Amino acid sequence: MFEYQKMLQYPIRIKTPNPLYASIIISQYGGPDGELGASLRYLTQRFSMPYPELQGLLTDIGTEELGHLEMIGAIVYQLTRNLTPEEIKRSGFDKYFVDHTAGVYPTAASGFPFNAASIACKGDVIADMNENLAAEQKARVTYDNILRLVDDPDVCDVIKFLREREIVHYQRFGEGLRIATDKMDEKNFYAINPSFDK
Amino acid sequence: MNDRCMLMRKIAENYFALADIHLYCDTHPADASLDGKINELLRETKELVSRYEANFGPLTCHAGTAKQWLASPWPWEIDKEA
Repeated sequence: MFEYQKMLQYPIRIKTPNPLYASIIISQYGGPDGELGASLRYLTQRFSMPYPELQGLLTDIGTEELGHLEMIGAIVYQLTRNLTPEEIKRSGFDKYFVDHTAGVYPTAASGFPFNAASIACKGDVIADMNENLAAEQKARVTYDNILRLVDDPDVCDVIKFLREREIVHYQRFGEGLRIATDKMDEKNFYAINPSFDK
Repeated sequence: MNDRCMLMRKIAENYFALADIHLYCDTHPADASLDGKINELLRETKELVSRYEANFGPLTCHAGTAKQWLASPWPWEIDKEA
């Protein structure tokens, strides 16, 4: 089960609202490589994952990603407070605002709503761990792209923290994949699926 | 930064250190070299959380009354005192 802690993993205090930045950063809330997909991907892969090291890793990283989802929500919330209709129109935030006002809705920046097709659970340790390695890199690239488009230090400081976590998670998933292959048939990793074949 | 914010910052730092060490230990279960650090952080964090909750309200919903749970600011709100 989960128990909520009334705190963020990393403090967020954005002094200047900016609806354009919010409409970009929302992609890490509900976009194809966002934190909602990340948390669900890892927490749902756990059930069919063999080996306690990997069950632990998916639980711990998946839980951390839920905290990152909350952080992205906090960024979007703080960037969209006290807006005037004029600011909303000028910034291009109007296309989001018309459907969601200043609510935090899981969507990609393009407007495509969160889609479970962007997460993956194949039920095979090799397939799922490789999926996770790619997912961490895709999230890292998205944060790099956000840093190319945003120049408020209050926002960039938090985005840089989240970007670094993707790199740490990538490292740990790489070690996890190595642990799995070490336990499998050295001549043919694909000979059996240890999650299914007994 | 006031006392509440400084204490919150310290608690968040400790939880982060614990989480990061934990990920390392998930893939290095035979490495016991960080056990001492983990126990030290756990001990210190428990003390900091007790001090925070006694002065500024519960951090989890089981650490106080419902009224206390609602009284302190939510973490996504702008912390005017920070």
